[in-house]
Amino acid sequence: MAAFEAILAETQQRFGDHLLDATVSNGELTLTIERNAVTEVCRELRDNPVFAFEQLIDLCGVDFADFGKGGPAPVEPQPRFAVVYHLLSIANNRRIRVRAHLDEEQPAIESVVPIWRVADWFEREAFDLFGIIFEGHSDLRRILTDYGFIGHPFRKDFPLTGRVEMRYDADKGRVVYQPVTIEPRTLVPRVIREEPR
Amino acid sequence: MSEIRNYTMNFGPQHPAAHGVLRLVLEMDGEVIQRVDPHIGLLHRGTEKLAESKPYNQSIGYMDRLDYVSMMCNEHAYVRAIEELLGVAVPVRAQYIRTMFDEITRILNHLLWLGAHALDVGAMTVFLYAFREREDLMDCYEAASGARLHATYYRPGGVYRDLPDSMPKYQPSKWHDQGDVDAMNEARQGSLLDFIWDFTERFPQKVDDYETLLTDNRIWKQRTVGIGVVSPERALQLGFTGPMLRGSGVEWDLRKKQPYAMYDQMDFDIPVGTDGDCYDRYLVRMEEFRQSNGIIRQCVEWLRSNPGPVISDNHKITPPSREDMKGGMESLIHHFKLFTEGYCINAGEVYAAVEAPKGEFGIYMISDGANKPYRVKIRAPGFAHLSALDEMCRGHMLADLVAVIGTQDIVFGEIDR
Amino acid sequence: MGASIQHYIKSFFLWELVKGMQVTGRHLFARKITVQYPEEKTPKSPRFRGLHALRRYPNGEERCIACKLCEAVCPALAITIESEERDDGTRRTTRYEIDLFKCIYCGFCEEACPVDSIVETDIHEFHFENRGENIITKEQLLAIGDKYENQIAAARQQDARYR
Repeated sequence: MAAFEAILAETQQRFGDHLLDATVSNGELTLTIERNAVTEVCRELRDNPVFAFEQLIDLCGVDFADFGKGGPAPVEPQPRFAVVYHLLSIANNRRIRVRAHLDEEQPAIESVVPIWRVADWFEREAFDLFGIIFEGHSDLRRILTDYGFIGHPFRKDFPLTGRVEMRYDADKGRVVYQPVTIEPRTLVPRVIREEPR
Repeated sequence: MSEIRNYTMNFGPQHPAAHGVLRLVLEMDGEVIQRVDPHIGLLHRGTEKLAESKPYNQSIGYMDRLDYVSMMCNEHAYVRAIEELLGVAVPVRAQYIRTMFDEITRILNHLLWLGAHALDVGAMTVFLYAFREREDLMDCYEAASGARLHATYYRPGGVYRDLPDSMPKYQPSKWHDQGDVDAMNEARQGSLLDFIWDFTERFPQKVDDYETLLTDNRIWKQRTVGIGVVSPERALQLGFTGPMLRGSGVEWDLRKKQPYAMYDQMDFDIPVGTDGDCYDRYLVRMEEFRQSNGIIRQCVEWLRSNPGPVISDNHKITPPSREDMKGGMESLIHHFKLFTEGYCINAGEVYAAVEAPKGEFGIYMISDGANKPYRVKIRAPGFAHLSALDEMCRGHMLADLVAVIGTQDIVFGEIDR
Repeated sequence: MGASIQHYIKSFFLWELVKGMQVTGRHLFARKITVQYPEEKTPKSPRFRGLHALRRYPNGEERCIACKLCEAVCPALAITIESEERDDGTRRTTRYEIDLFKCIYCGFCEEACPVDSIVETDIHEFHFENRGENIITKEQLLAIGDKYENQIAAARQQDARYR
């Protein structure tokens, strides 16, 4: 905790209302910010020498639709989606995680490509897999899934086996799509247990 | 006179220089590249979503299949993420074994990179020599884990089994009589550690051979010097890590800066480039061969004199030994519990990264308290590197594109995930 | 000045190419490392994970007790087991199938098996000629186990103290 005191104080001073939460767990600092402030906060994180996070290491989407479901504790309602940024400061040898929650109706957030060029593909990936819209991104195409794919496969309501499969149709002489024929099979159910350690 | 226009060209996905299934849509002005649009995802298997559907331990094997030339490094990131969430201690011997195998993996990866890169650029011989050394290292993999590539060797809490004290040997055949076979088995008389030690004695000489073939070679230099230049500032902007970043002159290596496993005990240097071109990145990786070789030797020396447990004895997360399992009821219950339901991890999130041969390989894991991860995000170094292909290739000739793909050390298992 | 003349001369006489040819020349006369497969094979460790087999006890009774641990632990869902009680009151499998196309040869089934029944042998040279042959049945698995029992037992014995 002590290691983060200086940086925590600076975030609170700089970001004020935009900062919804700041927690330290497993030796990592996580800032939860308001989604409208993402450009402002990220630019500050990059350019302020106290932070100096020159590198965006990772950007990913998260779907919290099933979070904690089936557990003993009641699930607190929270916005469905989140975008998580992992930043690295080479100058200060420090990492930070920034998270912005997005609601289900409008999973959109400003693009950080102007701040870190590498965000380009990471944002395309989050759009492809979760359907999160990055406003201001110049080329928001699908990246990992097939051309003409329908749906966002990493959302929790998308089945693991997918919805369509493709095969070669000898009569038509081409590859055709058809509804998936694989039976979903789960041998180990998901369980939540509080385990003292 | 007809109008001269740019034209669009398709490169791959079935192209030997595309290192797998890379499809590029190139906008060309004559032979000069104006724009590169990589189309990826042809190897997308949804590893992250698959991992969310299985108990924690069952995904270890899938990590091998991400970057399938640096298998154990991927496993290392994954088990580190779990260990940090659990807060479990790893025995020191296991940490040394991991460090040693991470470096063996680095050499394995760089050998393939070197061979493939040289082959792309037109030097055939290095490829054959590199594969000869890879063969020895894959024997080490097999002796420890039972598989030449997809090891599934690391476990949360340690490694699966201790290193064996004998190596399998060649048998006489109609091609090689007993005398020949004895010569072939010379390095295999002792334990795996002796075999690795013998390899590290021979290996620097082999690196010199590769360097003789390439470093001063005029064709090699013409193909790599001044190609794909990236300045340090751009390298940071473009999310470069590993040799790609060090080639641009940024001294950054997680093994030094944020040490994990036993790297803080190891004595090694970080090579750094100056110009940020393909040739510098080549030199950086060649020096990493020698540094890795040194780290392996330090680990072997320690491992030889310090026997001990290689996996945690917390049987909530690691299986008991087979003898205990067959002899004791409590151990048997732990065994059944672990192999059916697995273990639950209290809610939390963690990002664990290792310095994989290609760069920073990270696992971002969110747990909601279940026996399966809620979200696993794999941060693959190649993904960020490939996204910079456009910027690195603009204005270069088509043939230089192949050199840039080679220098990026692209593997599609990790990029498409 | 001296260095540049040296560089010029070296460059003119293709010095680095000559050096490179020396390396290849040395390899031309060195002992060959080529292994003449299939007459000759590279050594395989006792931990090798290849084709599966089901083992029996020395008295001929099959080991598998249908506990389904391997089925549960299989990351690729390659194993399918059905079981029922036999006439003598013991539980045995009626169906034990492994889809070798799905299998990723991770070795978890062997690790999980409490009675050392399912094992991964060191056989790696196998093929299929027709569709559907990739799913190997209990009979086939037991037959592999019977045929290679000595080899399997020896490898397990050699590795027993590490497990």
